[in-house]
Amino acid sequence: MAAHTLKKSIWSLGRIHCHIYRVNVRNPLNRATYATALSTNHSSQNKGFPDRGNRGPFNRRSRREAGDPRTDRMPVDQDWTTVYPTATPFRQGSVPLPVRMGFPVKKGVPPEKKGNLELIKIPNFLHLTPLAIKKHCEALKPFCTEWPSALDTGAKCDEHFPVKVESKDYVSAGTSLRNPSARIVHLRVSLSACVNYDYAMYLLTVLYHESWKMEAWESEKTVADMEEYSWEDSPSQKNIMSTLVRMQVAGEGEGEAVREELLGRPEVQEYRDSVTRLKNEGESESSMHQYRDAVKKLLNL
Amino acid sequence: RCLSGLSKNACQSEQHLGQYYTVPPSHFHTVFPHGLPPRYQQQVKSFNEGCVMVRQPALELISHLKRADYSKPTLRYLLYGVKGSGKTMSLCHAVHYCSKQGWLVLHIPDAHLWVKNCKELLPSSYHASRFDQPIQASNWLRNFRTTNEHFLSKIKLRQRYVWTKRESTEEGRPLGELVDMGVSRVKSSSDVVGAVLKELRLQAGGTEGGFRLAVAVDGVNGLWGRTTLKKEDKSPVAPEELTLVHNLRKMINNDWCGGAVIATLSQTGSLYAPSSAYLPQELLGEEGFDSMDPFIPVPVSLYSEKEFESCYLYYLDRHWLQHPHSQTEEGKKELIFLSNRNPSVLERLCAFL
Repeated sequence: MAAHTLKKSIWSLGRIHCHIYRVNVRNPLNRATYATALSTNHSSQNKGFPDRGNRGPFNRRSRREAGDPRTDRMPVDQDWTTVYPTATPFRQGSVPLPVRMGFPVKKGVPPEKKGNLELIKIPNFLHLTPLAIKKHCEALKPFCTEWPSALDTGAKCDEHFPVKVESKDYVSAGTSLRNPSARIVHLRVSLSACVNYDYAMYLLTVLYHESWKMEAWESEKTVADMEEYSWEDSPSQKNIMSTLVRMQVAGEGEGEAVREELLGRPEVQEYRDSVTRLKNEGESESSMHQYRDAVKKLLNL
Repeated sequence: RCLSGLSKNACQSEQHLGQYYTVPPSHFHTVFPHGLPPRYQQQVKSFNEGCVMVRQPALELISHLKRADYSKPTLRYLLYGVKGSGKTMSLCHAVHYCSKQGWLVLHIPDAHLWVKNCKELLPSSYHASRFDQPIQASNWLRNFRTTNEHFLSKIKLRQRYVWTKRESTEEGRPLGELVDMGVSRVKSSSDVVGAVLKELRLQAGGTEGGFRLAVAVDGVNGLWGRTTLKKEDKSPVAPEELTLVHNLRKMINNDWCGGAVIATLSQTGSLYAPSSAYLPQELLGEEGFDSMDPFIPVPVSLYSEKEFESCYLYYLDRHWLQHPHSQTEEGKKELIFLSNRNPSVLERLCAFL
């Protein structure tokens, strides 16, 4: 402890110095120093707590002074892989970016990175820059063997190795070694590589005939079950028919004849196409424009 | 710049695209007691005048309204566009035009207000399974009365309405009496709204003393879809079970003639709709689309180059942009980049400068 007391005495002088002049003492040797707050008016800094030696409620006196953040001393062309060689939590003193994260303070901006728990909680990929990955690859190269030069196309691989087995391994930090998804293994065989042609033909015939059979419950298919939108008998058709009928003030006959005539008109066909396109393909600017033009033509605008 | 002489917006045409016209202050209280977007109202208060930019969608609407045949079934126009592109403002522009031309304007500021946040839901006396919303209905009637003062005494009722055992409104009484009754008797105000809408529907475009009826609904996608209201047994209320919504849907049908229905879609107040949705079918849903069909969709886009210039010059002219950098070319390019020419984003950005 002799060295400790020696340092303490030197730095106590240093601390008095900076306490008077309020200057941040920079350590020119870039070493973490053990500076104690032993200045002459340390009793006033105590804020009324009784002197309990160095155990105090907040241990203020033996607390190490924080140095400058590392970001102040980072050259632009530094080697980032030394700053973050492995996956570590976010250290605001090591990342020279003015990142902000979190819910904005009242009428303000998201809080800064200093003391920001949100940034520490989330996973970061600062250890996986392209340069770092390149270095990993370089390190792994000695352990790899060459790909056989004869297997240069996918077709050749399939020909020589028709059966493909795929298994997955999971690595995670947790309470248990096991991961149930690791038990799933996929085995793929291409049917064309197999010699089971007759069985395949038989299966295809059976499926074809089965698909033509109508079950009793299929007649209960409602509009909501339909795979595609059909304009006939839809509310859209009814609306447009009734609108058009009312628009012809001098109606030419009644009932079916009028309907047939109206349905045959090119504007109505266009309208039908645009509505079907809207419903089946979903919406987009172009389909909306098409619908717009069709409606305008139909309603004589 | 502001063309104050253009308060007769019948003269507005393609040449005036991108320029501002002033709405006389007297009109703000009568025509727009409840229709304008809140930020625009604040802007009017700051600038002490209300200037509206003449833009393509509004002009298109007005030209259709001028040329339409009012003996045919009503045409429905639907303004759609991304958030903040100016749909409500275009609607207000069209409403102002209709009001100046002497039409009766039925302006529902936000249909979403009727399907959410309703403190009082009374079971309807008229129809057993429906629900009334007295506060919303009486508020709306009050604003309706302010907008259409001069019509209230001219329109006469064609039917007798019985409210309670002792109160009824006879045939032939002026509409104003009905509206006053609705405002004072809050309990039956929703039924009064229904009666008012029915009367207007029957009488619009009529040959004797006919008037044109403009139904302007903002956020029309709130009428189909879901509500956040619950009945006493905590089961959700469907929109058609609300009297106000039921009656409004009848107005939007095109089975009456002599007017026009102008509607906007709005994602901002809507319930259970993703924030990136802005196309008609996404927001209206199947049911809404089928009810509105056939309608004329009017797309409202972000500011064009010319419109952005005009808006920027207007703010400069009003000394709204105080920051010295915003008055340079660089600053203008920054504004274009930050706001992507979206009108509401630009307005919010400039409010900080």
